[in-house]
Amino acid sequence: MEKKKPRSTAEWVTFGIASTILSAIAGLVVYVWISDRHEPAAISVEPREIRETNGQFYVPFEVTNTGGETVESVQIVAELKEGDRVLESGDQQVDFLSRDEKEEGAFVFQRDPRQGNLIVRVASYKIP
Amino acid sequence: MVTHLGKQWKTELTDLVRGASGGFLFGIPLLYTMEVWWIGSYISPLRMLVSLVFTFLIVFLLNQTAGFRNEDARSTDALKDSIEALAIGLVCSGAMLILLQEITLQTPLREALGKLIYESVPFTFGVALANQFLGKNQSRSGNTKHKGNATLSDISATLIGSLVIAFNIAPTDEVPMLASAATGGWLLAMIPASLLVSYCIVFAAGFTNQQQRYEHQGIFQRPMGETIAAYLVSLFAAMLMLVFFQKLHFDDPWQLWLRYTILLGLPATVGGAAGRLAV
Repeated sequence: MEKKKPRSTAEWVTFGIASTILSAIAGLVVYVWISDRHEPAAISVEPREIRETNGQFYVPFEVTNTGGETVESVQIVAELKEGDRVLESGDQQVDFLSRDEKEEGAFVFQRDPRQGNLIVRVASYKIP
Repeated sequence: MVTHLGKQWKTELTDLVRGASGGFLFGIPLLYTMEVWWIGSYISPLRMLVSLVFTFLIVFLLNQTAGFRNEDARSTDALKDSIEALAIGLVCSGAMLILLQEITLQTPLREALGKLIYESVPFTFGVALANQFLGKNQSRSGNTKHKGNATLSDISATLIGSLVIAFNIAPTDEVPMLASAATGGWLLAMIPASLLVSYCIVFAAGFTNQQQRYEHQGIFQRPMGETIAAYLVSLFAAMLMLVFFQKLHFDDPWQLWLRYTILLGLPATVGGAAGRLAV
């Protein structure tokens, strides 16, 4: 039967480091908990510089989740309007957008969006 | 004196590496499962704390019951091992998440913490298991008489085994998908199927330890009793996992809870059987 071994220095050091790591993580979690801003979701989309390639017009966009909640299935819609008529439209879906996350994409138009009224907007999202 | 110190460090380092290796064995599949990143990125800080506590408790339970077999183990040893297991799990999963760029300098703190804590859970289980099977408790190999609480040992073995196997299945969409098809008789059929597979693995397949299992002490002395009890523990583990990965919420109808739990219960029972074989 083995006698009880006293804990070696090495064991104490490892234990100390382990406890520190664990406390640090727990502490960070508590910090995040207290400082959490409970804002509702707010998603903004911005079209970028339009470029023309091979007779098609590319409208890049950047969508950002500026709110306090993660969202799913964000739908972005782009419409090229002339007055009240919609000439062309496109839509894109972003699967997952957590807080402060950005995603990029592009819409492709046959007509020049610069000639008409281009609206790029967020149409809907889902809470996971 | 110097060589003695060197030897201490070497032992300690070996223990850490073994723990980390076990962690990788069980943690890697979930590291490559995107549902875990997603869920980790939006859970509340309260859930993060709760999962840290639960992981610690389960690992502590495992270490404590293992300690019963080792005469010179103390309760504080189990505590120390559990804290170290958690720390190793956090560090390893953190390193991997950074390597895979799931956590970057741009990642918001809350999201990073959520991913880290959720991904560290299987790693931590792996660390605890590594020390069990291959590790410090060398006296395990010859020990057929279970000193201390054999029932508790069985329960914790089943629990850990269930968690390890079913943890990969719980976060993904297969359970809800299967549940929508599983009605009435099919769901009922899963129960004897689970019991049968579990029984076979532990008592009929002729794997090692089978003779010992038959001579087993504890409340569940008969194989059938043990199989049924283990099934219940596995169902409980399955339920825990489904809640952990937010597949089940507290305001969901009880029928849903039943369906999902029984469905995930099948792989969980298989894991529980494997756990009892190995521990």
